[in-house]
Amino acid sequence: MIFRRVIQYLLMLLLALFLVMFLLLPLFTVVGEGCDWQLIIEIFRSPVYREGLFNSFAIALVTTGIVAMISLTLALLYDRYDFPGKEYCSILMLLPMILPPFVGALGFQQILGYYGVVNSILTQCGLSRIDFLGGEGKFWSVCVIEALHLYPIFYLNLITALGNIDPTLSDAAANLGANRRQRFFRIKLPLLKSGFLAGGSIVMVWSFTELGTPLMFGYNRVTPVQVFNGLHELDNNPLPYSLVVIMLTVSALIYLLMRKIFSTPSGAAAVKGTMGSRAEKLAGWRKFLPAGAFLLVALLSVMPHLALIGSAFSLRWYDSVLPQVFTLEHFDNALSNPLVLPSIVNSLRYSALAMLIAVICGTLTALISSRWKLRGAGLLDLLSMLPLAIPGLVIAFGFLGMTAEYAWARAIFNPVENPLWLLAIAYAVRRIPYVVRAVTAGLEQTPEELENAARNFGAGPVRTMCRITFPLISANLLVGGLFAFSFSMLEVSDSLILAQKSIFFPITKALLELSQILGAGPASASAFGVWAMAFLAVTLVSAGILMGRKIGAIFKF
Amino acid sequence: MAAVFLDGICKSFVPGKRVLDELSLEVKPGELFFLLGPSGCGKSTLLRILAGLEKQDSGSIKFDGVEISSLPPEKRQAAMMFQNYALWPHLSVFENIAFGLRILGVSGKRLKEEVTSALEAVQLADCADRRIPSLSGGQQQRVALARALAVRPAVLLLDEPLSNLDARLRDTMRSEIVRICRSRGQTAIYVTHDRQEALSMADRMAVLKDGKISQFGTPRELYERPANRFCGSFLGDINFIDGKVENGKLITGFGTFPLAGSVENAVCGAIRPERIRFAAPGTAGAFRAVITGSTFLGDSAEWLCRAGECELALKEIAPAPRCIGDEVMLVFDDGFLIAMQ
Repeated sequence: MIFRRVIQYLLMLLLALFLVMFLLLPLFTVVGEGCDWQLIIEIFRSPVYREGLFNSFAIALVTTGIVAMISLTLALLYDRYDFPGKEYCSILMLLPMILPPFVGALGFQQILGYYGVVNSILTQCGLSRIDFLGGEGKFWSVCVIEALHLYPIFYLNLITALGNIDPTLSDAAANLGANRRQRFFRIKLPLLKSGFLAGGSIVMVWSFTELGTPLMFGYNRVTPVQVFNGLHELDNNPLPYSLVVIMLTVSALIYLLMRKIFSTPSGAAAVKGTMGSRAEKLAGWRKFLPAGAFLLVALLSVMPHLALIGSAFSLRWYDSVLPQVFTLEHFDNALSNPLVLPSIVNSLRYSALAMLIAVICGTLTALISSRWKLRGAGLLDLLSMLPLAIPGLVIAFGFLGMTAEYAWARAIFNPVENPLWLLAIAYAVRRIPYVVRAVTAGLEQTPEELENAARNFGAGPVRTMCRITFPLISANLLVGGLFAFSFSMLEVSDSLILAQKSIFFPITKALLELSQILGAGPASASAFGVWAMAFLAVTLVSAGILMGRKIGAIFKF
Repeated sequence: MAAVFLDGICKSFVPGKRVLDELSLEVKPGELFFLLGPSGCGKSTLLRILAGLEKQDSGSIKFDGVEISSLPPEKRQAAMMFQNYALWPHLSVFENIAFGLRILGVSGKRLKEEVTSALEAVQLADCADRRIPSLSGGQQQRVALARALAVRPAVLLLDEPLSNLDARLRDTMRSEIVRICRSRGQTAIYVTHDRQEALSMADRMAVLKDGKISQFGTPRELYERPANRFCGSFLGDINFIDGKVENGKLITGFGTFPLAGSVENAVCGAIRPERIRFAAPGTAGAFRAVITGSTFLGDSAEWLCRAGECELALKEIAPAPRCIGDEVMLVFDDGFLIAMQ
């Protein structure tokens, strides 16, 4: 028995070592490189960087606002009513998450551009064109695109929080004479604070540090893009590091602020129970309204991608509502570009490896904290959740700094010679939280007594795990792995920064390069984007088929 | 079948607050042994320690004279029937029962036979291919029993196995468990808070209180000769009669009575309600009392009587008509008034 404890602690030590080396050390490196007061003061003096920070923060605020509105509406509809198609609404939520906003930006231009779909409709109605994407328009476009990508995160957190609210609390308020509005504002909303905190802070930090979308729109006056553009002159200019440090600090401040605003007194929402659903049934035509809302939001969020598909198939789509001449030429062009095929293979390799690493680390963390209950498990759990709070850009820069600073890091993963391990680990570290969440949820829903029973009937710890624990949480394991894989395939920050030679480019970076080629570039990039989405869809659907009806379990956490 | 020997088991979850306190116990081979006690007395903890699911702070556990304290749960051969059954929802009934057997290396035709015979023992032979969630509570409980029986454990541990069943199924299962354990000579330790269950099924039993054994012996011994007030009242209704104890006699305001059993520093007598009877005037040892309360139960009646300063409850089978305020003569059954601290 002591022997087993020793092995468990040894595994925990290895895991902690991994996280320290690939999470804390990069962070430490960035802060070490960028903590130059003079540079930081210089940044704040320069109007260009000041504007960048202001714009990024404004994007974060507006995006979070839009996200909160969308998801609160949808979450309340889902919680309050029973309506036809309710069971598919959760699946609809998957859609925006797997479509990278980065790719969507390409299609978005097709819709809102000066000679795009909306303006064509306007001219046909005899109105004048509006420049949606010029000046302020870019800002709003970035916000909308990001919001349409990020709302499921907020939504899922709200749904979880709503599920944890004992419906009798609301009944008690009704019993004491509170009407529907009062119950909502005085009871439900305050109890939802934890959901707001969890969802809101992730969305806000994410949109504050999002690189891909503004980059695609050519919206250069935001800090992440400024950091990225500063990358080319990194050898003689440590300024990007300082910018990253500032971003990290602002992100931390966002978290603290959110925590202060949304702090719940401990135990306030502790009433948990498996109550039956209190959802009302809607009658008549009204019963289609909630599903309609879900469908509308989903449609809006796939619109850019639909436009992307449109422009990928059309020879001419200019100043008209629908594409004019259909062609497959762009697909040929995309595939014949020397960047494209290798990038698919690269992304597959990086992401598969990243998934493996993330699943192993995440499962181990979950086991340590909710089964083995080792000393220090809480700290490890916290550490493994940290990537949710740290912008991808920061970690990417940390890795870059590590390879520059430490000889051993250069030896293991040289971004110039072979970034396989570098990218896989960078992807994996940031996907660990998803796996930890998924697996922990599974373990907590599975009574430990079932494992005790297996031990009691003579199965050793390994056999118990293989025969009882893992089969029982198989859905959660698959979901965690799937998230890790698809998020890695669509990863932007690490990919753009850490893949430096074109033969090692992953899909996202190849896509960016392709879109910047003048002339046929954007069209072939659209075609490639379609390839990538189709590929991802095939992966997800086949995983869904493998999992069978367990796919619903994705949304149980 | 193994003999179980526990010596000086201590366990505390919170420092300074012992759940089990220097507990020692011996269970003979083939015996159906009951641990009875109120909730929170440590009986389930003791069972989990026996199974190796908790580790005792100190003390030794021996199965057939072999120390097993340091063995992990999977090496103990102490199959347990869990209170909530703990059936694996992803395996069929057959696979649930086969699980332990496969680990023992049983396979092929023999595996099938063993599982079938275990299922037959609990009268579920036609449920082998069912999935666990499709079974009723009573069926699940029987599958859990079959799973534990199938591995032919050295010791069978049962943790309040009937607590989730309705009264009728509980009665059937009581006799089933007794029948199966007796016919196999299975050593079994059964935890419950239900005194009827313990009294009706046990070969021997122990009453637990605050992590200590209050008394152990056969059901009859415990019922008729409880060693202390707690055991006396936990196993059924009992009258405590205050008085003076001298030379094995209880001297009260309404008479002097011989005491059975001897306890140090005895200060009162105790007798069960059904051991006090109405008597004809002139019966030896009879005393005068007044009826002060009555509850009619059909086949029997419970009477409250006052004798001197003492309230006595008594139970009469096939009750005669009486009224409150009637003067009656009562007599204690010989040998059932016992001395008590």
